[in-house]
Amino acid sequence: MKNFLYKEWKLAFHPTVLMFWLLSAMLMIPNYPYFVILFYTMLGIFFINLNGRENHDIFYSMSLPSKKSDFVKARFAFIVIIEMIQLLAAIPFIALKQGLHMSGNVVGMDANISFLAFSLVIYGIVNWVFLKRYFTAPEKVGKTFAIASVYITVVIAAAEVLVHAVPFVRDRLDTPDPQFLLEKMAALAIGAVIYAALTFFSMKRSIKVFKTLDI
Amino acid sequence: MNALLVKNLRKEYEKFTLEDVSFGLNQGEIMGFIGRNGAGKTTTLKCLLNYVHPNQGEIQFFGKTFRDHEQEIKQRIGFVSGGVDYYTKKKIRTITEVTRRFYTNWNEDAYRGYMQRLDLDENKTPSALSAGMKVKYSLALALSHHAELLILDEPTSGLDPISRDDLLDVFLGLASEGVTILFSTHITSDLEKCADTITHIMKGRIVASEPLESYVARYRLLHLTDEQLTETLKPALMGLNRAKHGYTALVRADESDRLGLMAEPANLETIMIHLERE
Repeated sequence: MKNFLYKEWKLAFHPTVLMFWLLSAMLMIPNYPYFVILFYTMLGIFFINLNGRENHDIFYSMSLPSKKSDFVKARFAFIVIIEMIQLLAAIPFIALKQGLHMSGNVVGMDANISFLAFSLVIYGIVNWVFLKRYFTAPEKVGKTFAIASVYITVVIAAAEVLVHAVPFVRDRLDTPDPQFLLEKMAALAIGAVIYAALTFFSMKRSIKVFKTLDI
Repeated sequence: MNALLVKNLRKEYEKFTLEDVSFGLNQGEIMGFIGRNGAGKTTTLKCLLNYVHPNQGEIQFFGKTFRDHEQEIKQRIGFVSGGVDYYTKKKIRTITEVTRRFYTNWNEDAYRGYMQRLDLDENKTPSALSAGMKVKYSLALALSHHAELLILDEPTSGLDPISRDDLLDVFLGLASEGVTILFSTHITSDLEKCADTITHIMKGRIVASEPLESYVARYRLLHLTDEQLTETLKPALMGLNRAKHGYTALVRADESDRLGLMAEPANLETIMIHLERE
């Protein structure tokens, strides 16, 4: 799998992903729907897969002496790394914002630990909806992106609504750090478990489907 | 031992079926895999390498089933599908750097040698290469991991006659070094220069798989005038085809003398054309 992962960095990586990582700085914008940053990450993932289709990535990869399952695993690992870098890039801005007492977001979730927790869940859904569909029909990556965009827009909107509508989220999770740290760390742990589970099951399903796919 | 053995391969599509495809290829041989566009050449080659999954049949490389030894077999073969058409904007150096990691017996010295011999520049991108040079780069990659069998899907399509001839020289050189080559094409003149055996596929079925000389010797080409084309003659003719001055048709070589008409030796192109018209 490590050879395929190397291939992902050297050949499949799309330069816009670099720019999208920098968009974690949008957390410094006052009163903004910060989950939009996650949509840009998904856009980067789409560009990688679209670029792959245009460059016959699967045809090339399948000519190499390696397992089909390793190709899928490497693509998932690559996407997970991209998503984690996006969140890691967000942490300094969260810390800076909290340190400067700039917290408070009238639009939705604040840039705090809970934001990371919700982001993990949303990324998990991206991996479940987008990647699973992608490996079912790699040639239809545009349609897959369109469908995933609808899902993710609804999920992001729902996450922002939760901040206003659910008292626990509003009063405990959407607060300046380090207030309610225990609850926020618990939310982060739950988010991580949901992310890992959705990504893992999406990968298992993708491997199964991809093994039988005619290219 | 067969370098490649295909038995009873079947692949069903909604509007096309590859049916009972069987052939064998001996080590060190060049086999031409011929058939018109859409006959099933690429589908067969894709089945061999598991790009598409056959509904039934068995594929063996070097006496081992592909299903059970896919990775080991891929270490020993090279697949060239019309040259490098992947990541065409990346430098050749980068593509090689990625590709070589997958091969346990990659030989860097051999790679450098082939790049020099085939006049390839690593700092170029595949998009900057001519069609012939793309095929040569694919060959350099395959040969640098000591591929014993090359599977080439229409490698000479789109090449000018001189580039094609250059490439055929390379194939002949490789065959003399013991490399086995399966070469799909519809440019039959290429095969007359280099193939040992021919496998002919029509509408998803193999109609012949035998040495080139014996396949060509099975038929004769007749040139007929309107007067010569009688109703009694027609049952013996294959693929009656209108020509500038009358008609052409194939006949079986053993029947040609009995008919008492002037016949000339057939070649692969005339055989393909006339059998397709049957």
